[in-house]
Amino acid sequence: MKKIKIASIWCEGCSGCHMSFLDMDERLVELINKGLEINATPITDLKVPDDDTDIGIIEGAVATDHHEEEVKMMREKCKFIVAIGDCAVFGGIVTMRNYTPVDELLKRGYIETESTVDGKIPTSPELGKLLPKVKAVNEVIKVDYYIPGCPPSADAIYHVLNEILEGRVPMLTGELLKYE
Amino acid sequence: MEKIKIKINGQEVEAEPGKTVLQIAKEMNLHIPTLCYFEPLLPQGSCRLCIVEDRGKLVTSCTTQVAPNMDVKLDTPDVVTSRKLILQLLFTERNHYCMYCEASGNCELQKLGYEFGLDHFEFETYERKFSVDNSHNYIVIDPNRCVLCRRCVRACSQLAGHNVLGEMNRGIDTMIIADMDIPLGESSCTSCGLCVQVCPTGAITDKRSSYFGKDVQTEVINSNCDQCPIGCGVKVYKRKGSNFIVKIYGDFDKENEGILCKLGRYGALFEEKPRLTSPKIRDDSQDRKIDFDEAIRIMSEKIKDAVIYVDGTLFNEELSLIKKVFKDRVFSLYENEPPIKSDVTIDDIKKANNFIVIGVDLNREYGVIGSFIKRKASAGNGKITTFDNNFNSLATVSENVFGLEELEKGLEELKNLESPIVIYKKLSKKNVEILSKYKNLRFFHLPFETNSIGLLKENIKHKIEKSKNIIFIGKNPEGLKEILDDSFTIALTPYEIEMANKFNLLIPIKDGFEKEGTFYNIDGKIVKKERVLESKFESFDLRTIFEELNKVKSL
Repeated sequence: MKKIKIASIWCEGCSGCHMSFLDMDERLVELINKGLEINATPITDLKVPDDDTDIGIIEGAVATDHHEEEVKMMREKCKFIVAIGDCAVFGGIVTMRNYTPVDELLKRGYIETESTVDGKIPTSPELGKLLPKVKAVNEVIKVDYYIPGCPPSADAIYHVLNEILEGRVPMLTGELLKYE
Repeated sequence: MEKIKIKINGQEVEAEPGKTVLQIAKEMNLHIPTLCYFEPLLPQGSCRLCIVEDRGKLVTSCTTQVAPNMDVKLDTPDVVTSRKLILQLLFTERNHYCMYCEASGNCELQKLGYEFGLDHFEFETYERKFSVDNSHNYIVIDPNRCVLCRRCVRACSQLAGHNVLGEMNRGIDTMIIADMDIPLGESSCTSCGLCVQVCPTGAITDKRSSYFGKDVQTEVINSNCDQCPIGCGVKVYKRKGSNFIVKIYGDFDKENEGILCKLGRYGALFEEKPRLTSPKIRDDSQDRKIDFDEAIRIMSEKIKDAVIYVDGTLFNEELSLIKKVFKDRVFSLYENEPPIKSDVTIDDIKKANNFIVIGVDLNREYGVIGSFIKRKASAGNGKITTFDNNFNSLATVSENVFGLEELEKGLEELKNLESPIVIYKKLSKKNVEILSKYKNLRFFHLPFETNSIGLLKENIKHKIEKSKNIIFIGKNPEGLKEILDDSFTIALTPYEIEMANKFNLLIPIKDGFEKEGTFYNIDGKIVKKERVLESKFESFDLRTIFEELNKVKSL
């Protein structure tokens, strides 16, 4: 059987979707037996996926210039991109910050918070720069499949991966399609 | 009228002229998705989701009436693609991120998203932010969640007759506003809450029920409101497995047509009066908590020659029990005999066109009756004349406003009106005389208390006189003020009443959603209030109290 190589990253998100991924439990073993190969993921702690990766899973919205680079890299290295979770699919809860200008936001967060003493806004060049607006992944790159949900259920993630392994186009219906 | 032959999905049907395509499809059990459509309201066709194809043209089925030769198809590829596009536009126009919305789980927009398998947004989402209107005591309006379906606007005018909500600007800038764009809390809103009930999304929510339970987490108990004698049908949403009421909605299938007033929808939940949590005795001008047995013992000593006063908050079962035990020693604290008997019902009010309101502000009490007559007036097929000496907010929708002493002059002017209905609560003797002179009038009396008619049916008469021992059963002891001083007084009441220091013995009884019972509504029909909650502390029903008394001393 042909192996299907997957990789995943998480951008502006809470890791909940990766938790849901792990929540597939023994079904993860079943998928691996069917030919799923887990390449670079936060779980395996590899940063850059192989060039011949079949499926790139993206959790989280695009909030910084780093995220932008990462999702573009995923698009280059992976044949199909799956956006999982409300943040990656719609922008999600992290878009709440879109209502406030970035300067004000950083000031409020790092300097004006009630518990902060002598706060300063971090300026390390290693940190990503906040984009003016948080974006859903499909506003930056082409996305092939979507699994909304906050977080999406393990059943929904299993369904999509299994359908791909079985050579079908995944479709979410009924209880598998949830926005919350 | 001759029926019209049309085709729906190739199937020939005979349709009544005047009906819409959507109505006919519903009768045929065919599903058309809708959002702005809401059964009792006039259709508006603002969301466009219910489009169907008629001979190559897309039309909104909720506003298109059947016409000869129609050939309607409900699910052509064109229809489905258009609906999906419309849904995409609706989702991306404002903030429709479900996971931080109160309505998630109950939301009709969300349900449509699931129905159409919408799994991402095709357009960039809208980024404007509207400020939330939190000025109202009970209701929050969040325009960010609004889909501009105008259900609230239509419900406010067409059903409830208040005409508070409206819209301003056009297109994407359209805003739902109160009065002339002032905060809802400062507007002429009567807090009837119908807008909350009809809103399909999280744009209008109420402060009490928000985040306390989605519809799937609640059970619905059909009951009747006992805040006034109209006895509106209500749906009480109780959190499953918990002793908590999430919200009260009006029942669209009952006489009140889903409309409630501030008292019915919010009064019972928001304004919880402090409850009497244990029997109390007052001696040496100090309150002392005592146990139930002691309270019964003290009461039994005083009961022999006591006079019993009741009010109209008691249910039929309680009244007949009291009457059975105390016979002719029971009196009503308030006058319930109507000055002029009613000769019309609520249904007649809904059908009538001319109304004369005397001395009662129907926006503040008996609000649902107010809705029925106001919506007629604002639709242009009703005339209201108000007689009052105090401020009466009905004046703004009244054709004529007179003082009470001008009754004769006013009626003389209205002589040619076609059988107007006179709505009143109390009338002076003189005004009764004046009214009885006019033969074209019909009368609708607003009983003073919830079960005033029950008191009359039990033949409990109004009388107040001094007595050595007085027992009061009910919620409103105001009427006793004058005669309490020299008596030993006992109150069987659910609340820490303001006049508590005038009573010698207080015994808590069950109230509100903790007890069930029937009462006579304004039309003289028996309606039932269901029990929804368990008592949170020791309180007693009258039957238990009388049984215990009987054990100590024969009544």
